[in-house]
Amino acid sequence: MDPTVDFLAAAIRIATPLLLAALGEMLTERSGVLNLSVEGAMLAGCLASALGAHWSGSPYFGLATGALGGLAVATVFSLVAIRGRVDQVIVGTALTLGTIGVTGLWYRWAFGAEGLGLTLPTVVWTPTVIAGALVVTVSVLLRSTIGLRLRAVGESAVAARAIGIGVERYRAAATAVGGLLAGLGGATLVLGQVGTFAERMTAGRGFIAIAIVVLGRWHPIGVMLAAVGFGALTALQFAFQAVGIALPYQLFLMLPYLVALAALAGFGWRARAPADLGRSLS
Amino acid sequence: MRITLLLLLVTLVACGRARPAGDGAGGETFRVGLITPGSVADAAWNEGAYRGLMAIRDSLGVEVSHVEARTPGEQEEALRAYAAQRYQLVFGHGFEFQQPAERISAEWPNTVFIVTSGERVQGNVAPLVFRIEEGTYLAGLVAGGLSKTGKIGFVGGIELPPIRRGYEGWVNGARRMNPGIETRLTYLNTFDDAAAGREAALAMIRVGVDMLHHNADAAGVGLFQAAKEQPGVFVFGANADQSRLAPDRVVGSAIIDLPRAFLTVAREVKDGRFSPKVESFGLAGGVIRYLANPSLDSLLPGTVRTALAAAADSIAAGTLLPVPR
Repeated sequence: MDPTVDFLAAAIRIATPLLLAALGEMLTERSGVLNLSVEGAMLAGCLASALGAHWSGSPYFGLATGALGGLAVATVFSLVAIRGRVDQVIVGTALTLGTIGVTGLWYRWAFGAEGLGLTLPTVVWTPTVIAGALVVTVSVLLRSTIGLRLRAVGESAVAARAIGIGVERYRAAATAVGGLLAGLGGATLVLGQVGTFAERMTAGRGFIAIAIVVLGRWHPIGVMLAAVGFGALTALQFAFQAVGIALPYQLFLMLPYLVALAALAGFGWRARAPADLGRSLS
Repeated sequence: MRITLLLLLVTLVACGRARPAGDGAGGETFRVGLITPGSVADAAWNEGAYRGLMAIRDSLGVEVSHVEARTPGEQEEALRAYAAQRYQLVFGHGFEFQQPAERISAEWPNTVFIVTSGERVQGNVAPLVFRIEEGTYLAGLVAGGLSKTGKIGFVGGIELPPIRRGYEGWVNGARRMNPGIETRLTYLNTFDDAAAGREAALAMIRVGVDMLHHNADAAGVGLFQAAKEQPGVFVFGANADQSRLAPDRVVGSAIIDLPRAFLTVAREVKDGRFSPKVESFGLAGGVIRYLANPSLDSLLPGTVRTALAAAADSIAAGTLLPVPR
């Protein structure tokens, strides 16, 4: 194949799980909820998709169970942080750490302590198509009445409540959608790429997704551009190492993160987070 | 609500970290602890150690325990926890345990600390040195003989000295069959990210690499998936027999028989015959091996077969150094 096409394919492949998770987190944050358990929801999605695809033999069923895995983590977050009004940062972090343990334990319980190397059926481009369709859907939805209310909840929960919007209901719904998408992102890693589960296989992608939300300025198109940009830099990093350029490989490993940092420093100052982000309704 | 949160945190953290078993009393029963730097479900380096621990339990009838510790702080703490519970033998499974073990060993003179892939003896800390390059040399030799494009690639997790040596053995082996072979090397900076392993492999395949080898534990699994997707690409397993990960694409594996090495040392310590020394294992003792995948055996031309056998003999006899010092 044409090297440029190959490179773009790699960039989009790498971007897809990030884009799905970041879109979900963007919706969650637009409702005023800072959910740091994206990494955990993605990892839960990885395991749930592996279990689902293994059990049913169908990758599509696996994608669905993966999304539900993410939803499970988001539901716990919702109950404790939104309904219970416990500090969102702490709940999100604890959930991510907890999910790392739980998924590892569950995987070994299901497949044995040495259970690596499942041969799961894979679908390469389906998640990308879903992600693309979602970017459009979310862009449209944000302009609808529901979208307007969601944004009102994120900007000023008190004002939104005053005009009769069910703030916590909107926040719980946005968090649930965020969990579904993060789970789907995790499922993409398993069923779109690796074909098996490995413990901690998300390797920080959930946190990168949160950064992508900021880079994309809480807008679906921006989030998509940021995710694809990050995917392209990561693909470039692998390409540089594979070509064998005589520079320390650490430079290449740093590349996507350095550029992301520079972009945040460069344009970040103009971006504005939802005003009530991370604040419980008091 | 704060209490609920606290409980949640405690539960979650408890789920995330297994703790050494045992009640911490007495030194009558012989107890062996293992600390791995990653998950034992990696089909490679850590799985081998876990099998070794199970072999010790079954063959010697002693008590065993295992924990995972990933960061230097956790690793030192885990070593200390076993020693404090009077474990007689503790394996720190990897080069990264050398310094933590040396720091704490003087406080616990009755515990033997074995650092797998460690580098030197100090007090009651002793390394198991695996001449991993002897196995990767043979894998490289086969790869050099089979490569149609003249390009081979290696994916490493993190650049640690044993991984570097394995890479050098792989390259030197390939050069023996094809002095003009081109080699590629990528580090992932992770041992967990299997998707990154796959992308690194695909990037190499794009520039013409058709023979791949790795030392990246669970992240290395991505290479096998990449090879399955691309026609004419073959992989060599690392540390354990990995042919089951892609039965029609794995030519062979450079393995370390960790159970055999672990059992040898545990037996010596239990019988009181152990004295701290550098225990070095290679092809000669059978701990390091190159294991061909029988179902792909027909791929190998006679010349490669002959060269493989000859090189294995010279390495075992000590007349061929895979990585000159």
